Amino acid sequence: MAETVLPPPLTLAVGDRVVYPNQGVCRVTSVESKEVAGQTLTFVTMKREEDGAVVMVPEAKVRSIGLRKVAGRADVDRVFTFLRSDSDKANLDWKQRARTNVERMSQGGLIGLAEVVKGLQVLSELRPLPTKERELYDNARHLLVAELSASLNIAEVDAEDSVDVVLFPPGRERPKRTAEEFRTVGGEEDGMELGEDLLELGGEIEVGAEAEPEEAEAEEPAEPAPKAKPPAKGKGEKKAPAEKKPAPDKKKAAAKKPAAKPEKKAAPKKPAAKAPAKKPAAKPAKKK
Amino acid sequence: MIRLVTLDAYDPKVIDRLCKVLYTAFGVGCEHAGDMPLPGGQSEPFDAQALLQALPSPRAYADDKILYLTSRKLKPRSLVSGDVPSSGFSNQNGPRALVSSAGVKDPEAGLKLIARHAMHQLGHTWELHHCLDPRCAMYPPWTLNYDAGDTFFDTFCRDKSEQKIRLAKS
Repeated sequence: MAETVLPPPLTLAVGDRVVYPNQGVCRVTSVESKEVAGQTLTFVTMKREEDGAVVMVPEAKVRSIGLRKVAGRADVDRVFTFLRSDSDKANLDWKQRARTNVERMSQGGLIGLAEVVKGLQVLSELRPLPTKERELYDNARHLLVAELSASLNIAEVDAEDSVDVVLFPPGRERPKRTAEEFRTVGGEEDGMELGEDLLELGGEIEVGAEAEPEEAEAEEPAEPAPKAKPPAKGKGEKKAPAEKKPAPDKKKAAAKKPAAKPEKKAAPKKPAAKAPAKKPAAKPAKKK
Repeated sequence: MIRLVTLDAYDPKVIDRLCKVLYTAFGVGCEHAGDMPLPGGQSEPFDAQALLQALPSPRAYADDKILYLTSRKLKPRSLVSGDVPSSGFSNQNGPRALVSSAGVKDPEAGLKLIARHAMHQLGHTWELHHCLDPRCAMYPPWTLNYDAGDTFFDTFCRDKSEQKIRLAKS
């Protein structure tokens, strides 16, 4: 995250438009002193523009909460430049992604919201988003659109369409992403297996890519040197040529030696899964 | 309740079928609230936003949504980040939406497309944002394969619209 440095102190006056992280655009309605538990504190009272909800924040906490003024034109231009760029890919590890997104939502400012929106939008081109992330996407988009609308003084619908013209350009087909694009940028696959399980993924891409090295190991009796390497690597995708070689051997071996398969680790799993499906089919035949 | 107002002549069968589709999509009653002439001072292609503002409202309750249907062409909209072709217009959480059937030669055959655009614009009036699912009616309507899609909301959009409708006072 680029926005780790604390923002300069914020001086607020009545009528100022500010952004309350995760809440949206608010207008300062009063700055007044109140006595609370024997202490005199200055409170900033704000009204959320969207629904008129009132929030009171002690002036001393304004900075730590992450309250900021509505983004300026320069920030908006940065956001559109960022949305146009093809740089951002979400992390495939769901834990890290969630942590980053929460941080971006609360501390990242307008560009942080754009990062969440774009990251999840690009990820959705690889696979459908799980419910929680879909909600996060909608919230981030809502806050982004509201702030853009306030900043540019345009209707929300125009602000939303402005963002989406960039994210979903007219006349261009929806790109189909591969897991490889995300891995090279994210670079961390430690949480991949867990993430897949929890996110209810189709597993068409990742499962295949990870299963390959294991099967390759098992079916390469002739080459002792490569045998030792794959278990150590585990998740190395960069050594593509080494992995590609065993793949055709696998197929050949499978075709030539069908009897040898049941002895290997991966083989017993498959018949176990298929067996229950075959049995019911066989029963009606016996009855007849 | 969705009140459908036609700004041009349409076959009553088409209107009837459109109302049924909208009823199915939102779970809210939909009825034809009559015809209305196009306001003067504007020419084709119309500026969707200006046209919607100029149109008078029929009699309706506070939470009713009014959908205007026209067969006239709409101007592409100029936005901060570029121009975008327009097939309708509505404000987020607004009471009114406009949809054009200009791209459909035979409204009876192309009803699915008109209904999909109508669902999209009405969805905005219930605070739905654009969706990530290309099959959903809330997917950006200017995208390449949008017109080939079905009259369908994905789970998230359907749940959200149902929630908004449930919270309506009337």
